[in-house]
Amino acid sequence: MSSVIWYLYEFAQKSWAEKFTGAKSEHDIVEKPDRFRDFPVVLKEYCIGCGACTAACPSPTAIKLVRDKDTSEKVGRVYPVINNRACIRCGFCAEVCPTDPKTIECGENHLIREEFTILPVEKHYVIDDYLCIRCKKCLKACCVEGAIKEEDNRISIDPSNCISCGDCLESCPVKGALKRIHMPHLDEQKEIINMVVSRLEKALEDKEEEIRNLPRDKLFKMELPLKPIMDDSLKILSDEELVQDIIERVTDRMKLRIITWDESKCTQCRLCVKECPLGSITYSPDSGVKRDPDKCLRCSTCYQTCPFGVAGYFVAKFLLDDQKDDGKIMITLKPSLLPITEPIPENLPLQESK
Amino acid sequence: MILPIGPIHPGLKEPLRLKLKTQGEKVLSAEIDYGYVHRGIERIMQGQTWQKSIFLAERVCGICSYIHTQTFAETFEKIAGQQVPLRAQYLRVLTNELDRTQSHLLANSTYFKALEHETLFMYMLALREPVMDAIELLTGNRVNMGWNVVGGVRMDARDSHLQKIREIIVKLESEYDKYVEMFAHGPLLGLRSRDVGKLTYDEAIKARAVGPIGRASGLKHDLREEHHTYKDNLDFKVIYRKEGDNFARTMNRFDEIRVSLDIIKQVIDNIPPGDIRTKIDFGAGYDQWRNEAPRGEVTYMIETNGNLIKEISIRTPSIMNIDACAKYMLKDVATVADAVATYATSDPCIACTERVVILDEKEGEKSYQGIHNLNHKTNLINEK
Amino acid sequence: MLNTLKDIVRKSSIHVCLVNTGGCNGCDIEVVALLSPRYDLEQYGIYVHNNPREADVILVTGAVTDQWLENLRRIYTKAPEPKVVVAIGNCPLTGDVFNQEGGSVYAPVSDFIPVDAEISGCPPRPSEILEAILSVVPGAIALKGRQNK
Repeated sequence: MSSVIWYLYEFAQKSWAEKFTGAKSEHDIVEKPDRFRDFPVVLKEYCIGCGACTAACPSPTAIKLVRDKDTSEKVGRVYPVINNRACIRCGFCAEVCPTDPKTIECGENHLIREEFTILPVEKHYVIDDYLCIRCKKCLKACCVEGAIKEEDNRISIDPSNCISCGDCLESCPVKGALKRIHMPHLDEQKEIINMVVSRLEKALEDKEEEIRNLPRDKLFKMELPLKPIMDDSLKILSDEELVQDIIERVTDRMKLRIITWDESKCTQCRLCVKECPLGSITYSPDSGVKRDPDKCLRCSTCYQTCPFGVAGYFVAKFLLDDQKDDGKIMITLKPSLLPITEPIPENLPLQESK
Repeated sequence: MILPIGPIHPGLKEPLRLKLKTQGEKVLSAEIDYGYVHRGIERIMQGQTWQKSIFLAERVCGICSYIHTQTFAETFEKIAGQQVPLRAQYLRVLTNELDRTQSHLLANSTYFKALEHETLFMYMLALREPVMDAIELLTGNRVNMGWNVVGGVRMDARDSHLQKIREIIVKLESEYDKYVEMFAHGPLLGLRSRDVGKLTYDEAIKARAVGPIGRASGLKHDLREEHHTYKDNLDFKVIYRKEGDNFARTMNRFDEIRVSLDIIKQVIDNIPPGDIRTKIDFGAGYDQWRNEAPRGEVTYMIETNGNLIKEISIRTPSIMNIDACAKYMLKDVATVADAVATYATSDPCIACTERVVILDEKEGEKSYQGIHNLNHKTNLINEK
Repeated sequence: MLNTLKDIVRKSSIHVCLVNTGGCNGCDIEVVALLSPRYDLEQYGIYVHNNPREADVILVTGAVTDQWLENLRRIYTKAPEPKVVVAIGNCPLTGDVFNQEGGSVYAPVSDFIPVDAEISGCPPRPSEILEAILSVVPGAIALKGRQNK
């Protein structure tokens, strides 16, 4: 009974009748607060093409760096493009963007400090050739003559002259292009890393037939004994602990792309030669287009460039199982990630209801 | 007779199949099929940095998205052995309680919808909108806030924001009693809620019920009592009841909202000035951390190598609560309509539950397939 | 004459079915928020029923997971003509954060059923959803109704 009275009381109010007859949405439903993070806005002119935003973005297809075509007057501009269909409006790209003023703006520009950026900064100064934009600011900032050199359009630091003052790091406008690392035997380490990577690739290539014939919902698994890799590494660098550490780091991070190279398809168009950032693909009239796996960075740019499917790539995962005597590297691989060689079957037609 | 409900059904908002064993109108027992929204979040997180994974943790569940990021961040802070500044802790509590308020209001509105009481359903949603505004004002987004990071929060709250939130809370409190009265003393609602879907104390322990569902059955357990920010700085008491029926569960949520609003006011009055973010240096390690989500206890277990996540496991409250609902609450319910209402009052969140890892003991394999593949897998093993 | 009348009727009474094909739930609760008195979806003649057999509009939220591969098509064929599919949020469009190595989603939804309108955002605000639905759906339903005659 009381609820009936309550309803009568509620309906008898004037405000209820007014609301009932003049129903419309209030305007405040479309008003956004000033902190609202909408899709990021890109200001092309400030971009330095460092790629920090693409590295930080949690959504895999949201940000892409594109490059305008070169003209006779100037070089094409590099800038990020936001895909609204995948952007989750978290504003992290704006947070990590290192330029000043910012290239990407998203909502309120929150607390930005260098130490919070996503690119790992370790402790020796090295220039990452891939990220370096050749602005030569470090060259001007360096207080020792000959410590930073420019040779055939590549800038490098000579460790024998460097006094590790850190001035160059402050002057560098690109996050991650100039790194401070505290590590002995850097070149040997690089050699070991390259060796391990190509060894793993070789092992997978030998099993190629088997991988291709696997049903699509199964995982491919194999194990590789650690001993021979370890022995070869110790020939390069005799510090066992360090070698162990390097191999572990390689396998931890090696969720990397494996580039496959099918030479029989190559038509010698040479499109990839220009695109390769490290110059690991070369062309000579005698031997045609050749790829040097030892130089390769596995960036998969060639895969994106090649129109004939010569270059392919797939992703494999590695895990190090280091027991005392019979340590091994476990490899898993999904066949669905293999490069597609045959045409995809057409989707089944929909059953239209008449 | 088996009566299937779902996965797409007017009574459910999320995909899930409820199989009710009925005899006439009476429901004898129930069974639940999961697996419709399994996305493999834990598997994606492996080998990623925390900066990327925190946005994935946020998308485990859209309703209680906030507590997932907080627990994720606090796990890393525990691995590092550091604490965030006090102001950041207060801001986290503030957002957490706002999130709890909106989640409880939504849960209760779903229950009233299941009871076909459209009026209260609308009132609850109308109450919820100002809270969502407060969240948007503070964090910049309504649902997936992107507000927590390891080491603090991303944006500072200005005084104007805190005052606005306070206004919203005071206004909500002044209207609030009217609606609770409508439910508590309305004869229709009371009759349909009391003594329906009973979960006794023993059953609650057996089914490992947590959160408001467990507390309505007499389990006096609230992880906020153990959390350092709440324990040291704030004053609140745990709400619990003994009846364990639909009425108790709904009333428990209503009362918890009152507590939450009270905590929010305490935070706004006492918030200290200072930094909101600090640098966290964590090395390799493993740790786990538990927090009180709106639905109960959420646990994160993370193993990291100092940079990337090696292994992560998330335990959310819904899986226990849904289990308690299927096994005990939906036993001997008088009508099918009551069964749907009882299911709604257990506050199920399907997106939370669906992260299954299948461990094959014999072969030592681990696969991140959905739970619907489990039957297939057991069949294969049996055939062997 | 009859067609105009049909158009008016179709435009002013739209029944909606919400299908979550594996998202985080955020878009679903934003659709529920649309029912609230503040946005008041029903004043535009839109009713959320969650029943595919009487739906004019299917709202898809979520990337497609294993279980939905077949079921999504089945739900689509069960809805009577004319029907419109609206994809809400980023998951049905690109798979969002779930569409990376390790995830078991099969986005986008347009691989499985034809999508007429899309709303991006993670999740979109209720006002954005409302705006998009009102600007696309009534016109599309009237148009499809004439084609299928």
